[in-house]
Formats: sequence, structure tokens, C-alpha cells
Amino acid sequence: MARMKFLCDAERCIECNACVTACKNEHEVQWGVNRRRVVTINDGEPTEKSLSVACMHCTDAPCSAVCPVDCFYTTEDGVVLHNKDACIGCGYCLFACPFGAPQFPQDGAFGERGKMDKCTFCAGGPEEDNSPAERAKYGRNRLAEGKLPLCAEMCSTKALLAGDANEVSDIFRERVVARGSNRGAWGQNLQFNPLGGGKG
Amino acid sequence: MPRNALAVTAMRWWLGLIVSCCALFAAAPATAADAPKAPPGDAVADYWREVRQGVPGLSQVPGAERGVMINARGETWRQQRNGPLKRYGGMVLLAMLGIIVLFYLVKGPMKLSEPPTGRKIQRFTPFERFVHWGTAITFILMGLTGLAILFGRTVLGPLIGTDGLGGLLALGKLVHNYLGPLFLAFTILLIFAFVRDNVWQKCDGEWIAKAGGMFSSGAHVPSGRFNFGEKTWFWLGVTFLGLFVAGTGLLLNFPALIDRTRDLMQNLVLLHAIGAVLLLALSFGHIYMGTVGVEGALDSMKTGEVDETWAREHHALWYEDVKAGRSGRP
Repeated sequence: MARMKFLCDAERCIECNACVTACKNEHEVQWGVNRRRVVTINDGEPTEKSLSVACMHCTDAPCSAVCPVDCFYTTEDGVVLHNKDACIGCGYCLFACPFGAPQFPQDGAFGERGKMDKCTFCAGGPEEDNSPAERAKYGRNRLAEGKLPLCAEMCSTKALLAGDANEVSDIFRERVVARGSNRGAWGQNLQFNPLGGGKG
Repeated sequence: MPRNALAVTAMRWWLGLIVSCCALFAAAPATAADAPKAPPGDAVADYWREVRQGVPGLSQVPGAERGVMINARGETWRQQRNGPLKRYGGMVLLAMLGIIVLFYLVKGPMKLSEPPTGRKIQRFTPFERFVHWGTAITFILMGLTGLAILFGRTVLGPLIGTDGLGGLLALGKLVHNYLGPLFLAFTILLIFAFVRDNVWQKCDGEWIAKAGGMFSSGAHVPSGRFNFGEKTWFWLGVTFLGLFVAGTGLLLNFPALIDRTRDLMQNLVLLHAIGAVLLLALSFGHIYMGTVGVEGALDSMKTGEVDETWAREHHALWYEDVKAGRSGRP
């Protein structure tokens, strides 16, 4: 089986936030919840970098490990999904997640957390593929339709890559070769390299 | 001025030539060995290191900590909660239960050595009983739901599955979150109701010296309205741990009304759980002594009255005080 992975190329991300918008629209995500976000580091500095972040579908997922009701599961494609019927909205997954992926709609009178919502790698949930119930809770199941996550599909600079880990790393390897950078998957040292980058 | 202009133009030419040469060299395949060196101070490595350590950036997505790319302590918190907290917390609770069962099997319940007189004296006022049972009921509900949140997945999960656990804990979380503030209110009332009875008295020294008569059969150490064991429970359990656990719980509560950082929530969850495990362990002792451990103890809190024999044997100084027409309080 495929092993699904996201990869965001910091050399290419232009912080357009289209991935955030596309995801929110595709899955009709609840008010107040964004499954994906773009984080800009050193905004306005020469070292400014942006990355699009969502659930990275960890192999050994901390969210799953701390969940009091054990509502997470990993699909055959290596996608980490959760069962919203069992979720109690305790927030522990958010405390443990390295990427801040789990999000909670506000629910109830006293600011109770609602059921957790996060990136599904466009793979829905435990319900039948693309059933109305699945669609309402988790959004569209594009993987079941043979499509890849929309955020990456429509990324204008192809900074965000999604798909089988081998193919994603092949694409990224080509970029590393073309850039001539011998260091780092981020490719970040290039622009500061006095001999490279075609800047003279 | 024209000479200066000429010099500038010449410099531009020279610079252009140098730059072109550099570009040629850079493009030559033979330069693989001359791999670019990292810039001095390596600003790039520095800022990725900062990202890894949780230094915040900027995000257009609104919400708390959305600009923080990496939640640096998340994995550590997972290890702390799933590791030592559950392991040692579970061991402390089971050990306490074991000690109490062993104590019951070896010593058995404390029975009255003389027959009851049938004459009753009041030990607790209706207000004291109301506050006690209010605290007790909320505490038991908080304890059961709290234990289910920490240990439910391990203990109940294999029996009732994810859906069963989800249903149980969805209710459990509501009970825990909404009754928590009530437990805090009852705890504060309880402290006010009993604080003047729990001050140090001379007889407490004797009680400590004889370890409460735990290892001598039949001989009661005379005590006031409450003995030193009860006072320990009052100060260490009810007052210190009770306020600590209820306080940290209140800070954890109402997540959507107040935005708190994940670091704060992680710490609060750990402190809350450690305090709660210790409070539960102490409460096992109190519950044992108040029910099966001491004959007549439960009746005193149920009816508010005790038999004179019970009062004389368990709280001799208090009994004498009350019989002499005083309040019996220190």
C-alpha cells in the first residue's frame, strides 16, 4: 500500500493561504476551525520562510497515544483518522500534537470543546466512503475517489506536495538536485550561498 | 566630477566581470568539491532550530498559538502522562487499596469494647453533615470520572471498546467539568465548617507518640473532637490537596472561554492528576475509617448523633467536655 505523506517546500511557499481556503471550502469545515494554516517565520526579515502546516499523519501519533477514548486509527494508507462519535472533546490530542493540528469548535453554554476536527488527508472517517454521514462529519473523501488532497492539488507554486511518500520524495529529490544544494530537505541555505542561486 | 564618474563606471565593469567569472565557476561541473559553505553564524540553521523549539511565527489563521509551528513539549507531555503518571499513579492507588485490605484482614474493624448505653449525644450539626455529604458526593463523582479519563482506556477499553468508552466519557467529562466548581465550593465550606476543630491540641502529641493506638489492641488514645489522624486528613487532604486539585481543575475548565497556551494546559493536567491521585489515596483511608473501619462512624455522619460509649472510647476529651456542658470544640 501507499504511505501517504505531506511535504511543504519552504523555498516555494509564498504564504498565499490558498491551501487553507481550499481545504475549508472542500470539506465545509465548521465555523472557527481551520484544518490547515500557513505559518511564516521571521516575517519581513531577509530570512522569512513560510510553511503550510496541518496534520502530518505521524507513524507514531502522539494524539492517538494520549486520547482517553482511543478514538484514533491509522488507515492502510498511513493516514491518521479519528472517530468523531467517540471523541469527547477533552483537548489532549491538541496538547500532545507537535503541529497543533487538532482543532475544536466551541460548543455548549460554558465554552465546552466540541468534537475534535483535523485534516483527514481528504480521506473522510470511519463511515462508509462518501456517505452523507461521513461527508457531514469529516468532509469529502477524495482518496476514495482516487484523488489526492485538494490543498496540494491546487497549490500554485507546488510547494505543498501530498501523496505516496516515495513519489513525494522523488519529486523533492529532483528539486534538490536542480538547486544544487547538498544540504537539508528544506533547501534553505541556497539563497544565502554566495556562489549559488544565480544571484552572482 | 567626470573623473569620478569614469572611475565609477570602470568599477561597475570590473564588478560585472568578477561576477560573471564567479557565475561561470559556479556553473562548472568541477565545483562539486567546492561545496558552498554555510554562511557565518548559520542564520538558517538557527531559525529552524528556533522553530523546533516552539518560537512563534505569524499566521493569518486566527486562534490561539496558530503562529507556533511546532509544539515543542507535546511529545514530552505524552511520555510523561502515558508513562510515569499512569504507572506510578496507578501503583500508588493500588498500593493504598492493598494496605487497607491487609489492615482490615489483620486488625479487622474497630468495635466498641463496651455495650452502647443507648444515650445519644450530637456530634455533627445538620449544616456540617450537609457540607460533608455535598463534598463527599461531588468528590466521589469527580474521582470516578477522573480515574476513567486517566485509566479508562487501559482498564475499560478492552471491555467496552472505543464507542462504549466514548459514550461513558462524554458523560463523564460533562460531570467532571460542571461539578468541579461545585466540589470547590463544597470544599471551601467544609474547611470553614471544621477548621476550628482541627487546631493543634496537647493530646495530639500523645496520639502521634502512640501512632493513634494503631499497633496496640483495645487501648484508645484520648482525643478532642477530632484526633490527629482526622486532623491530618483535614489539613493535608481536604485543605491542601482538595484546594490544589479543585483549583488546578478550575484553571483547566471552560477551555473556549479563555485561551490558554498548550504549555500551561500540559502542566495543569499533570499537576491536577498528581494531586488527584494523592488525594484519592488519602481518601481511601478516610472512607475506610468512616465506613467499615470503625463501628458507628458512619452513623455519626448519617444521623449526626453518636452513642455515649462511642464518644467516650473514641473521643474521650470531647466527650468529657460535652458532658460538662461545653461545646467540646478546642
